[in-house]
Amino acid sequence: MTNKTTDINVISRRARGNILAKLKAEVGGADYGKLPQETAYVYPECSQTDNIAQFISELEKNHAQVIPTTKEQMAEVILEQLASLNITQLLYGEKLDEQSDYHREVIEALKSKVTLQPYDFSIDNNKNRLFNECPAALSNSRCSIAATGTIVLWPDENEPRSLSLVPPVHFVMVDAHKLHADFARLIEAEQWQDKLPTNVVLISGPSKTADIQQTLAYGAHGPKALIVLLLNS
Amino acid sequence: MKHVHEEESKYAASAKDFRKNVTRDLANEELRANFRGAMDYLMDKRKSAFSSADELEVLREQCKLIKQRCLAKLPHLLEQLEDKLEHNGIKVHWAETVTEANEIIAQLIAEKKAKTVVKGKSMVSEETALNDYLEARDVECLESDMGEYIVQLAKQHPSHIIMPAIHQNKQQVAQLFADNIDGFEYSTDVDTLIQQGRTILRDKFCQADVGISGVNFAVAETGTLCLVENEGNGRMCTTIPDLHIAITGIEKVVEHLADVPPLLSLLTRSATGQAISTYFNMISSPRKQGEKDGPKEVHLVLLDNGRSQAFADEELRQTLQCIRCGACMNHCPVYTRIGGHAYGTVYPGPIGKIISPHMLGLDATTNLPTASTLCGACGEVCPVKIPIPKILLRLREESVKPNREQPQVMQGQGAGRSAVEAIIWKIWAQVHKSPTLYALSMWCLTRCRFLMPKKLAGWTSVRTAPKLAATTLHQQIKAKQAKQGRG
Repeated sequence: MTNKTTDINVISRRARGNILAKLKAEVGGADYGKLPQETAYVYPECSQTDNIAQFISELEKNHAQVIPTTKEQMAEVILEQLASLNITQLLYGEKLDEQSDYHREVIEALKSKVTLQPYDFSIDNNKNRLFNECPAALSNSRCSIAATGTIVLWPDENEPRSLSLVPPVHFVMVDAHKLHADFARLIEAEQWQDKLPTNVVLISGPSKTADIQQTLAYGAHGPKALIVLLLNS
Repeated sequence: MKHVHEEESKYAASAKDFRKNVTRDLANEELRANFRGAMDYLMDKRKSAFSSADELEVLREQCKLIKQRCLAKLPHLLEQLEDKLEHNGIKVHWAETVTEANEIIAQLIAEKKAKTVVKGKSMVSEETALNDYLEARDVECLESDMGEYIVQLAKQHPSHIIMPAIHQNKQQVAQLFADNIDGFEYSTDVDTLIQQGRTILRDKFCQADVGISGVNFAVAETGTLCLVENEGNGRMCTTIPDLHIAITGIEKVVEHLADVPPLLSLLTRSATGQAISTYFNMISSPRKQGEKDGPKEVHLVLLDNGRSQAFADEELRQTLQCIRCGACMNHCPVYTRIGGHAYGTVYPGPIGKIISPHMLGLDATTNLPTASTLCGACGEVCPVKIPIPKILLRLREESVKPNREQPQVMQGQGAGRSAVEAIIWKIWAQVHKSPTLYALSMWCLTRCRFLMPKKLAGWTSVRTAPKLAATTLHQQIKAKQAKQGRG
């Protein structure tokens, strides 16, 4: 085993040396100060109202359900949706209730009506449970993008990345005040290059495929339904 | 010239059979209908994805320059990428050949004593024929993209880089499922078929030891692997198993995170007409302390496989600008008619014709650069402005060059050279250089035109033989001018 391990390190080191040598031989002496100017397309500035309309329209085009709501009505909206889907269990990010008073109130209100399960376990010995016993999940979001109808998740120890992936129904809370015009301006505004976490996920609808005769089908591997709870007050 | 591949790839053999493959697939009416329908659909989708011609043009120019800048700095960016990734906890491996890449991956899997692998869509792993390699070592490697899953079940290869099972219609998929999946009752309802796939594959994600994926953009600045997908299988493969191995070509590195948004926007719109894919997954490290999921180890395999050969020539280097959107094949009249399998290569269509010669050698792919009408559609739709028709002409030239002529740009240089053809062109050049010889040859040809054979090899198999005129164009114009002068 030890020998073989050395083998792939030897292969890799030799390949690295050869590849870089070949490439460097071609770019030696290149003056990178003389590269041509790259001009980006300037998208028109839109009002917040237009951006929200665009965000909703793009998401709906991609088969997501967008429900504009308020902090007070949030729990009720979730319960209504769960009832219509005949679901009585909800997985949510651990410590979601500690984020703010309103989050705590939402969790309290849900707790009295459905079985709430915090994601307080490691996936390691719980894959079967996650795949087979969690019909729906509730997550927060970091921000969103108007141009493409995209929700940005920034998973962490409280909201693991599988929370928004494995359960067949995904409820996501989106704050309209954290809406950016497009992806380029978002990266720029938040200076993402300095702080990327383990995993960032951009989500723009429920899981889908058109791999069989170009016919769209939803729920290929991830959530079959994406329910966006849009807070705009 | 040093051979790029140590042993003959199975694709070298199938690419050599190009002409046979074309005859076979052109005769298959069902296949041709499947491709025609799919290409019309994809062309329409792309067309409706851009708000204005101006936006498209500005974006194409910007993305071309981004990719050219990243290529100009390629060795430095690869080093920076490696530094950043290792700093983030992702182990980087390098491979010059497909065999080396496979050995590295097999070894990583063996170290974990792993037996089951789920794979997200990765054309580079098709390049290395990784499934065959792992299967021979008793490791199950299951494709999880729906199209790839169908293709693997049918023991075929992808016929399109974005939509791998585009050559099959729903009746064929239904039959395939009925024949291969226990308890599946024949149905052509696409939702039923997808839900069947979902049930089987979710079980596999839950059990798998290893996830393998490709990479769309590798960001040097941050050490981030970006994956574009709609289904969620890419996220499954990179989130659920304990070990994630990503494999990509060395040309996929971009310098800045800010380079990603314009490239992503053009990629999804050029490919399927989507403003963005359902998921854009950015991976910068393995599971950190305290996190509850994600792989405990992440590895990246960087593969050359002929790319450094393309890199060495300024014109051919543009081939590496490709972001694998598939628009060139969707708009190609040849691809639409012969389909993706006829090429015999991993990458079909126009991009396949210009990248495969670097991977397999011009000797195995001599026919590919000639399988084009040079209509120019591929170059016009390419989001990063690769001059595909020009590169096709260049490759034709490389394939008929004397095989010892220096510098040797391509492995397999001169593979398409025929001594007779070379002599004919030499004589032609001489005749056209000398006015006396030219006049003499015209005098002979116009008088000996009755000697023109009725059958001219390939030409007359589908056309009538051309007839030489009794007088040359020069003579006719002279006669006309003389007449006008008199009038």
